[in-house]
Amino acid sequence: MKKLLLSMVMVANVWAISNFELAQKSDAALSGYHDAKAEMVMTLINANGQERQRTMKSMVLEKKGGDKSLMEFLTPADVKGTKFLSYEHADKDDDQWLYLPALKRVKRIASKNKSGSFMGSEFSYEDLTAFNIDKYSYSGDAEEVTLDGKKMYKSERIPKSKNSGYTKQVSWVTPDTYLTMKVDYYDRKKELLKTATFADYKKLDGVWRIGKITMLNHQNDKKTILVWKNETIKNGLSDRDFNKRVLKR
Amino acid sequence: MRPLLGLLLLSSLLYGEFEYRGYVGADAQAYLSKPDGKHPGNFTLQQQLELKYSVGNFEAAVNLYAQEDSYDLSDEKNERTFVRLDELYGKYYFENDMIFGGKNIRFWGALEVNNLVDTFNTKDFRTDGLDPQKQGTWNTSYTHYFDNSNLSLIVKFYEAKQEMAAYPYVYYFFPEQIPIAGVGVTDVSYDANRESKESVYRPTLYLSYSGSTESDYPVDYAIILQHGYDSQRAFAMEIDPFAKHTTFREELYLVNKVLTYNTMVVGSTLLKFEGLVTDVIDDNVTSVGKRVADYYQFGLGVEYTLSGFIAEADLGLLTEYYYYNTFDHSAEIADDLALFQVFQNDLFVGFRYTFNDSADSSIIAGAIIDMEYQEQSYSFKYETRLFDVLSLKADYAYINPSKSEPTAYALMGLNPNNPNGDPIAHQRIDLNLAYHF
Repeated sequence: MKKLLLSMVMVANVWAISNFELAQKSDAALSGYHDAKAEMVMTLINANGQERQRTMKSMVLEKKGGDKSLMEFLTPADVKGTKFLSYEHADKDDDQWLYLPALKRVKRIASKNKSGSFMGSEFSYEDLTAFNIDKYSYSGDAEEVTLDGKKMYKSERIPKSKNSGYTKQVSWVTPDTYLTMKVDYYDRKKELLKTATFADYKKLDGVWRIGKITMLNHQNDKKTILVWKNETIKNGLSDRDFNKRVLKR
Repeated sequence: MRPLLGLLLLSSLLYGEFEYRGYVGADAQAYLSKPDGKHPGNFTLQQQLELKYSVGNFEAAVNLYAQEDSYDLSDEKNERTFVRLDELYGKYYFENDMIFGGKNIRFWGALEVNNLVDTFNTKDFRTDGLDPQKQGTWNTSYTHYFDNSNLSLIVKFYEAKQEMAAYPYVYYFFPEQIPIAGVGVTDVSYDANRESKESVYRPTLYLSYSGSTESDYPVDYAIILQHGYDSQRAFAMEIDPFAKHTTFREELYLVNKVLTYNTMVVGSTLLKFEGLVTDVIDDNVTSVGKRVADYYQFGLGVEYTLSGFIAEADLGLLTEYYYYNTFDHSAEIADDLALFQVFQNDLFVGFRYTFNDSADSSIIAGAIIDMEYQEQSYSFKYETRLFDVLSLKADYAYINPSKSEPTAYALMGLNPNNPNGDPIAHQRIDLNLAYHF
C-alpha cells in the first residue's frame, strides 16, 4: 500500500508544474530560430461566412528584450507595398512605423494601446507579437486536463500591461513538447472574448514553428485564419535588416 | 561580344524580381456653388502604374500617372489631360550607404493636413485643386546609414514647372480679367515657364540628417539644410497692352534654408513639429516691383488615438496649427498673399474614425480656420474598399473665402458678373472609384 501511495505521489510530481515553469518551457520550445521569413495568408470570415483574403510577407528577428518584425502587405491591391515595422519591448511601449507607398511616407505609430484590430482581422497587434514570458504574471500550478482526448496542461497568465486588451489568458499546452494548442482570451470585462486554436506545428532546423492559427471571436462570431507558408529560419538576418531604412526599399 | 552582353543583361533581368502596382479610376466632382462661367463639375479618368525591379542590392523603378478630363474632349478645354513621369530611377545599396540617381518623389514632414517642409517636389495643380499631387524631380543623392540615423546629400538638378489647369476649371486661382493702369481691363493667363536670374538648371543642394531616439519618449527627427531655389515662388507679370493680355509666370529666387520635422510619442499621443527659416539670398526687387523677404514658418500638431472607441473602431483626434511670417514688414515686401501662401495663421481641428473592418473603412473630417483672413474650410471624407479590388472615396468640402482680402480662395471665388461683390463660397461633392492591381 505504501509503495502504491509512493508511486502515485511520484506520478503526481511528474505532472505537477507551476504556471510560470510551464510558460518558461513553452517559451523555450519555440525559441532558438534566430530569425524567420515567411509568407502569411490571412482569411477574414464574417458572421455570415463571407471570406476576404489578405497576404503578407513577414520577417522576424529573435531578440532577448523583444523581437523586431517587418511585414509587407501584398494584397488587397490598394495597400500593396505598405510596410509595418515593429520593435517589441518588454518594459516599455513598442516602437512602430508604417510606410505608405502612395505617399512615400514613413509614419510613426503610437503603440500604447495593443488591443486594436490588425487589418480588420480578429487578431490584435498584441496577438501577433511573439510570446514574451516577461509580459505576464503567473501564480499557482497548471491544471491537468484533457483536450480532444489528449492530456494537456491548462495554464493561466495575467498580462502585466494595463494597455493590454485582456485581463486573463488561459492556454492549453501539450505535456511532451510544451507547444500551445489553444488560448482563451478574456476581455477587460473579464468575459471570454476570443479563442485561438494552434495547428500545423512543424520542426524547422530543430525548432518548432507554428503553421496555422484560427482566431474565433465569441462576441461577434467573426473568425480569422492565419497561415504561414514557405517559412525559413536562421536566414542570417541582423538588426540592419530591420533598420527604418528598409521601409523605403 | 554584343550577343553575349545582351544574354548577360537578359539573364540578370530574369534573375531579379519585378513588382507592379497601380490603379485605373474615375473621379466625378460636382461644384454646388461656383462663380459664373466656371465649370459646374469635372469628370476625370485617372491611371497610375508603378513598376519596380530589384536584383541583389540594385533597385530600379518607373512610375507613370495619366489623367483625362472630359472637358478636354470638347471646346471648353481646361488643360487637365496629360501623362506625367513621376519616377524613373536606379539606386544601389552598399553595406551602410546608398546612391540614387533619377527622378523621384520624396516625403518630408510630420503633420497630417499641411506639410510646410515637404518642399522637395513641385505640386501639380492640374490634378485636384484642394489636394494637388506632387510631381517627380530629377536628382541624385548619397546616403550614409548609421545605427539609428542617416545622413544624405541630395542634389536637385532643376526646378520643375508648377503646372496649372486653365480657366474655366473651378480651381484656377487667377481672375479671368484684371484692370491694368494705363491699359484697361486685360485678359489673364498663367504660363508655367519659370523666370529666374540664373538658369533653372542651377542645382539646389540639400544636406539632410534624420533618425530616431530610443528614449522613453521616442522622437523621430529630421533636419535639412538647403541652398538653391526656394519652393515659395514670386510671380512675374507680362503685360501686352496691344492684345490687352496679362501673363503671370513664376519667378524663382535663391535661398539658404533650414528645415526640420519631428514626431514625439507620448503614450497614445503623437506630438509633431515642423519648422523652417529661410534667408532669401537674391532679395532684389522682383518684376512686380516687390522684394521677397526672409521668412519663417512653423506647424504644431497633436494626434491622440482612442482605441476601441466603439467596438473595434478607433477614433483619432487631430489638432494642428500653422504660422507664416516675414522678418521684414516694409511696404516694398511681397506679402504672403502675393506669394500664394495659404497657411499664415491657421488652425485645423478634426478627427479620423477608423472602422477597423475588413474593408479598411474610415472617415476623416475637419475644419481649417484661417484666423488671419477670416476664412474657413470644412471637409468630410469617407473611404472604403469594395470586393477587395475597388477603392471608393466620397468627400464633401465647403470653403467660405475671405471677404476682405484677396486670398487664393477669394480669387478663385470672384464672380466676373459681380466683380465688386463678395467672393462665392465653394462647395463640392467628389466621388472617386478606382480598380487597383
